[in-house]
Amino acid sequence: MELFFQTLAVVLSPSHFVMLIAGVLMGLAIGILPGLGGITGMTILLPVIYGMEVHSAFALLIGMVAVIPTSDTFPSVMMGIPGSSASQATILDGYPLAKKGEAARALGAAFTASLIGGLFGAAVLTAIIPIARPIVLLFASPELFMLALLGISMVGVLSGQQPIKGFIAAGIGLMLGALGDAPAVPEYRYAFGIDYLMDGVPLVIVGLGLFAVPEITDLLIKGRSISRVATLGKGWLDGVKDTLSHKFIVLRCSIIGVIVGFLPGLGGSVVDWIAYGHVVQTTKDRENFGKGDIRGVIAPESANNAKEGGGLIPTFLFGIPGSGSMAVFLGGLLILGIEPGPAMVGEHVDLIYTAIWSLALANIFGAGISIFLSKPITRLTLIPFSYLAPFMVLIITFASYQASRNWGDLFALLLMGLLGWIMKQYGWPRPAALIGFVLSDNLETYLFISVQRYGFGWMVRPGVIALALIILVSVAMGVFYQKKKPSDSREKYEKILS
Amino acid sequence: MKKLLQVLAMAITITIITVPSAFSVDFSGKTIEWIIPFDVGGGSDVWARLYSPFLHKYLRGNPVVAIKNMPGGGSITGGNHFASRARPDGLTAFGSSGSTLFPYLLENPRVKYDFAKYPIVFASPVGGMAYINPKFGVKSVSGLKGFKKQLAYASQGATSLDIVPLLAFDVLGLNVKAIFGYKGRGPGRVAFEQGEVTIDYQTSPAYIKNVRPLVKQGQAVPLLSWGMTDKDGNMVRDPEEPELPSLLEAYEIMYGRKPRGPAWNAWKAFFIAGFAAQKAMWLPEKTPDDIVAAYVKAAEKTVADKEFQKVAKASLGGYTQMVGPAARKTFSQVLQVPKKDREWLINWLKTKYDVTIK
Repeated sequence: MELFFQTLAVVLSPSHFVMLIAGVLMGLAIGILPGLGGITGMTILLPVIYGMEVHSAFALLIGMVAVIPTSDTFPSVMMGIPGSSASQATILDGYPLAKKGEAARALGAAFTASLIGGLFGAAVLTAIIPIARPIVLLFASPELFMLALLGISMVGVLSGQQPIKGFIAAGIGLMLGALGDAPAVPEYRYAFGIDYLMDGVPLVIVGLGLFAVPEITDLLIKGRSISRVATLGKGWLDGVKDTLSHKFIVLRCSIIGVIVGFLPGLGGSVVDWIAYGHVVQTTKDRENFGKGDIRGVIAPESANNAKEGGGLIPTFLFGIPGSGSMAVFLGGLLILGIEPGPAMVGEHVDLIYTAIWSLALANIFGAGISIFLSKPITRLTLIPFSYLAPFMVLIITFASYQASRNWGDLFALLLMGLLGWIMKQYGWPRPAALIGFVLSDNLETYLFISVQRYGFGWMVRPGVIALALIILVSVAMGVFYQKKKPSDSREKYEKILS
Repeated sequence: MKKLLQVLAMAITITIITVPSAFSVDFSGKTIEWIIPFDVGGGSDVWARLYSPFLHKYLRGNPVVAIKNMPGGGSITGGNHFASRARPDGLTAFGSSGSTLFPYLLENPRVKYDFAKYPIVFASPVGGMAYINPKFGVKSVSGLKGFKKQLAYASQGATSLDIVPLLAFDVLGLNVKAIFGYKGRGPGRVAFEQGEVTIDYQTSPAYIKNVRPLVKQGQAVPLLSWGMTDKDGNMVRDPEEPELPSLLEAYEIMYGRKPRGPAWNAWKAFFIAGFAAQKAMWLPEKTPDDIVAAYVKAAEKTVADKEFQKVAKASLGGYTQMVGPAARKTFSQVLQVPKKDREWLINWLKTKYDVTIK
């Protein structure tokens, strides 16, 4: 315990603190740029940390990765474009709020939720590190398959009144995800001998294509500003109050965030959808979801910051990454001469404490700076979009090209954008397609391993049965609440959703 | 005495002839692009980033040595780029890994690079250690005599680096079922801890950090290491874990004779490509000798650098880094595998795992 506070003093010492703030500023910048996320940030910083003192390097890397899910809310709320894969779900309600002129409120709520979620993640990391190993080991391939299935079951509730369209869209996503090298056999699917297709389509491109391109196109066609009203309504303080009054949603979604981050192999990019799906499923008055319900902002934002705390657990304890950015972070650890593993808790416990403090402090500074910035930035929603569009097109093109730095990236963005625009025009739920895409590899890999290893026996494992019950309950709750609602409001909800 | 003087004179002459040429190459103000066909943060990337600041220091003119990550196609994309685009001016180099070499050895038609044509600068070895779940009561390799129970191994795919462990298990006559689809050695080790698989191997740095604690807690029983090649190309024990018998010894313990035949020959070639010379730096075809010599010289100085030795031991293990002729010599064993042994392996993949190379 003494060491725990000693580490705080180390982190607060000028040389480390400067690194932490540098990391935070960089993370905020990367978060604001659409499509760039933790992986890009880590990739940029990795060459810098070579030869750096370990605690400073930690402050830099963790400061950066911790605040990306804070500032990535800006493009999601203001422009309906995912700032990074962690805040795709924030668009669903955050963007309609901006259209109503309430961008400041949405941002205020989002940053408060991010702050609380991030601190929760750091707290859980502190508490759970000594006992985490056996818990992680409980989740073998069959259980991970069931968790991916739980993610897919959210498609129903995210597709409003037309679950059939939702499932077809999810199927399209699953097929897109199957492109490229197969997970378990040395085969390439639908690659047609094109080198680019051998690794499949990158997630960044699918996200930007499905959400950003259609939004930019439509705003340009309509030729107006993002906000439909000329003045900005409620301020960020109202948003802070909103979040505080929904403290149980924040708590539940933070827990979801930690668990998803904690489980290696599930990938961080679904956490926002699972949190969003959860809050819609468990709410009685759902008419406003998709039209600017503040709860639809709070849920994903508390989950995506809590995820980073959870994600550090498998990275430290097993040396296996919990998400894409953690995979690069792991490489950083190796460069610093640290091989993570079970010995980490004993040998390098000071490093774990440094990570925890960096995480907590970065969240505080990240949220603070974002709130400070939100006032000038929200004014962007009042500018006619034709002035913003060229800049936005440039940014998303640039972000897409970062995915694999192959000209194929640009081609893929165009095709995905076309697909997204068509889906939007015809009212097909794009979130469902994205969830299908994100989970496709997990679903296939873990099912494949489960069947190879256990035959049909995998279905009777206690963990699998428990997760199957959770899936049933969650689907049943979705169906139950749906029936109680008048249908005309649902239609509107769908329109905005799709 | 006279003879000794003659030899000395000759050595000095050779040094005079070769050394100035190495020094005449000057990279002042230049940027060297070192293509790594994997993502940032991967094993090859970390390896290259350990070396690059020292190459910057020791190449004359202190050129910037920039790592260019070019991931994709299981490292074939980056390799093909190097083969088709790199010019022999010493400003482009390539970092291969076992995953780059295997498709080349298996004659994958997508491979356009040919390591027989490229000058090698240096190569870094890594070892591998296999261990088994204690529930079988096997205490060491000798306990595997007559052991017939089916074991499960978490594999990334039959044409990946896993050829080495899978073929090793086959050589030893173990009944191992490969379960495909795991994303790497890390997830494989977690699957072992979960009991999802019952036999596993890790490369030496990961073994030391992650498996030794398991051994201490009685959750894993170490069996053997793959071994390592000495400077004459013989198989010896892995210096990082010298208590463990190498595969060669393990076979002798189990069967009372030395292994031979195509399975062993193929195993050894793939072992060298995947472990004993796992990561290597190459220059393009037809690179002038003075440039190659400059690189080799810089690599020699790097390997002798105390600070490098410290960081290398922590990340790459305490193996001897092979530079210039030593690397070429080890590597030649990979290139000289008789065609019939390679064909045997391709056929083994076909019959045992139903994999056709295409």
